[in-house]
Amino acid sequence: MDRNDRWGDLLRRANRGEGAAYALFLTECAPVIRNVVRGRRGDSGADDIEDIVQEVLLAVHAKRHTWREADPVTPWLYAIARYKTADAGRKRRTGGTQVPLDDVAEVLPDEASGEIMAVRDLGVMLDRIDERSAGIVRAVGIAGESAGEVGARLGMSEGAVRVAYHRAMTRLKDLAEAKDETRE
Amino acid sequence: MKTEDLINALAAEAAPAPAASVETRVGLALPLAVLVSVVLYFLFLGPRPDLAERIIDPVVAAKTLLPLGLAMLALVLALRSARPAVPLGLPARVVWLVPAIALGLFVWAFVTTAPDSRFMLWQGKSIPVCLPMIVILSLPLTAGMLAAMRRGASVRPGFSGALAGLAAAGLATTIYSTFCNEDSPLFYATWYSLGILLATLIGALAGSRLLRW
Repeated sequence: MDRNDRWGDLLRRANRGEGAAYALFLTECAPVIRNVVRGRRGDSGADDIEDIVQEVLLAVHAKRHTWREADPVTPWLYAIARYKTADAGRKRRTGGTQVPLDDVAEVLPDEASGEIMAVRDLGVMLDRIDERSAGIVRAVGIAGESAGEVGARLGMSEGAVRVAYHRAMTRLKDLAEAKDETRE
Repeated sequence: MKTEDLINALAAEAAPAPAASVETRVGLALPLAVLVSVVLYFLFLGPRPDLAERIIDPVVAAKTLLPLGLAMLALVLALRSARPAVPLGLPARVVWLVPAIALGLFVWAFVTTAPDSRFMLWQGKSIPVCLPMIVILSLPLTAGMLAAMRRGASVRPGFSGALAGLAAAGLATTIYSTFCNEDSPLFYATWYSLGILLATLIGALAGSRLLRW
């Protein structure tokens, strides 16, 4: 079976709520996405490339409704991968993650990116995202609770907590970058 | 987080993809935006008194129908551009007919107009109304288009914004043309085009910010 047909079939089933088909689709896409990212940002480290791959996967997830069932999947996937890779390159080039040393009272390792963020700034920024996400970041990122524990407390699945955490961290990073831009 | 974990987390969220597409949203937002523009039109402009008798003249009808055609084509293009990797197709070529016809009308009017009245007709009397009003009437439409298109995933936000602005400008100019009594293509092929260009530019600038995702 042609890859387009296969992926089309998987994504169609995924879009009807079939988790197993979706997992298979994303798993098979990941290496292709990784190739696109590597081809365009070959100078980046392996961690950085994996970050971008994850950003692309999140983008595919968030925009999966923009694929029309009659269309081939591959061009759609490549377009998203290229767009997100370019976007990631732009964000990193603008140097949004440079934090002045003096500001770093304490640092929080961001497991999603390996970048650092000042805790003092983090407190301010946490107020700017919704309460639920902020709570998840505090619990997982600062208090060090596991996604399972937080999920049990909030009545969410472990997976949902991970996704929420990942998204919140991405938003915080964007906020930090926006802030640095205004500071310059 | 390992990529594998992320995939499992996402797959756990494999709820049916949200139903409302860009098309549905544009279908909801655009009529509302048209209503706003039409209200603005009746507040500040209103139809010319001799509209019914003049609109039968093909040269007069053209200043309403050309922007309307432009709007329809640009709308299709904007919607297509809001999805990754959807080819723009035939409308992307057909749309160039609009400026070509406008240019043709301009040249025809230039040739058939007496040399001493060319400049007068080209300049007209309403540039200070025409340009700002086309832009103003286009703004609610551009806003509606962009708001709906944020639902999509344009991989060229500036370009998609320009197409949204172009569609909005086409509709705005269609509306404006029923007020305007400058019937020489020397006037409207020039100044309508400039107004449309300005509105398109605004769409491009707004889109390059608002349509990023």
